[in-house]
Amino acid sequence: MNAPLLSTHGLVARYDDFQALYGVDFDISFGEVVALIGANGAGKSTLLKSIMGLLRVAPEMVRLDGRPVGGAKPYTMVASGVAIVPEGRRLFTGMTVEDNLRVAVDHARSRGSWTLEKIFSLFPILKEKQFVPVQLLSGGQQQMVAIGRALLNQPRLLLCDEISLGLAPKVVREIYQSIESIARSGTAIVLVEQDVGLAQSASGRLYCMLEGRITLTGRSLDIQRAAIGEAYFGAPRAVV
Amino acid sequence: MQWFDGLVQGVLLGGLYAQYALGMALMFGVMRIVNVTHGDLMILLALVGISMAARFGLGPWSVLVILVALGAAIGLVLQRVILNRVVGSDPLPSLIATFGLSIALQNAMLEIWSADTRSLDGGAIAQASFQVGPMFVGVLPVIVLVTATVLTGGLDTAVRYTRFGRALRAAAADVDAAAMTGINPKSVYAAATAIAVAILGFAAVFQSVRATVSPADGPFQLIYAFEAVIIGGMGSIWGAFLGAMVLGVSQSVGFRINPGFGVLAGHLVFLIVLAVRPQGILGKE
Repeated sequence: MNAPLLSTHGLVARYDDFQALYGVDFDISFGEVVALIGANGAGKSTLLKSIMGLLRVAPEMVRLDGRPVGGAKPYTMVASGVAIVPEGRRLFTGMTVEDNLRVAVDHARSRGSWTLEKIFSLFPILKEKQFVPVQLLSGGQQQMVAIGRALLNQPRLLLCDEISLGLAPKVVREIYQSIESIARSGTAIVLVEQDVGLAQSASGRLYCMLEGRITLTGRSLDIQRAAIGEAYFGAPRAVV
Repeated sequence: MQWFDGLVQGVLLGGLYAQYALGMALMFGVMRIVNVTHGDLMILLALVGISMAARFGLGPWSVLVILVALGAAIGLVLQRVILNRVVGSDPLPSLIATFGLSIALQNAMLEIWSADTRSLDGGAIAQASFQVGPMFVGVLPVIVLVTATVLTGGLDTAVRYTRFGRALRAAAADVDAAAMTGINPKSVYAAATAIAVAILGFAAVFQSVRATVSPADGPFQLIYAFEAVIIGGMGSIWGAFLGAMVLGVSQSVGFRINPGFGVLAGHLVFLIVLAVRPQGILGKE
């Protein structure tokens, strides 16, 4: 097995007095798609935030290419090849689709092959809406802008936080098709997802979190639903 | 005829107000940082310029170059040392921090320069004028207006179309999301504040050649700058320019109605705009 692209080691994170992660060990290699599932408040988003430098963590707790990067600023993480599609999209309101994307182009890692044209061919609707302020777009279109923006940072590792949340099933399928083609281009992807079935089918490996800990990990197709149910809820229960 | 003259003089006065307002449009309008020291910094630059001119025998153009550079440096320090600590979605901390700094600055300037009014010798250009029909127009006010127009156009272009402008708008919209997209918000804000205070270098020279300055004048320039930005519409650079014109014309016409009414007329027009079109002339929604 290759050395991981990114790994966390006994990662502990807290919001003020509230401890959200209790020693998380996570890793992802080049070109892998890894899903991160778990109930609300299990710590999935917190894990992504800790990796991205939005929460204060000790340097050795997060390693990129084996080098300690825990607690590095988000913009230095972007420069070293990690990009995020944040929860709730967090687009730049008041700016057009094109300007939102250009911000990422302006501050991208130096190497990479994503261009505005490639984003427009991945999501043709965005070409039509190029000069429209992002707040006027539908939820699905906004999610496409958020993904496009992250890709234009030219990541080696793309973190996706709940990209299917609140979207119509048809749009979710469309978004996940784009994830497949992004993965084929060689970008490693972490998918935080509440839809277990979706997570299993879209990923090669899977981690399940519960109350700030990893409770289950393995190859996505090998894991039994019953095992997921237990890891997800902390007690034997069926997952539909 | 005197009304038309009032209009022309008002537009020329607006050129000076626009130079007060541009930095405010960038900081308050785009970044949503309230910098109460805005006027005091202009006065500080003016007093430094006047002292340097006297000491080293500099002409107004050399003083201008020095003050713009000094303004940029002060802006960088202001953002790095004070404003970056209080930056966020809530404008209140920046207001309180700079309010305190404003009072400290005024008192420090009183200590150094005393309460005397001073001005900068602009040479022949300060008095030069030309005749248009029956009207006399000063050369200096025209230079001020042209400078203000060029500065506004340049700043507007920078905010709309450059890497820096996009980064600034992105950081103003969502500072965390901007950082997650590769922007270092503190650097972008420091650059923006440097630009905002550097523009005050122009205002400082023109104000002190055209009229006088004294250490306690800052709050007036601050109010004019605020009013221009709000009349024009938050976030719009050309809006601030237009707002400055509205303010200049109101004062100038008000002055011709009654010499004591000029400044008040400007404030009244501001209040009317606030009541009738609270988003400002070029403001959206």
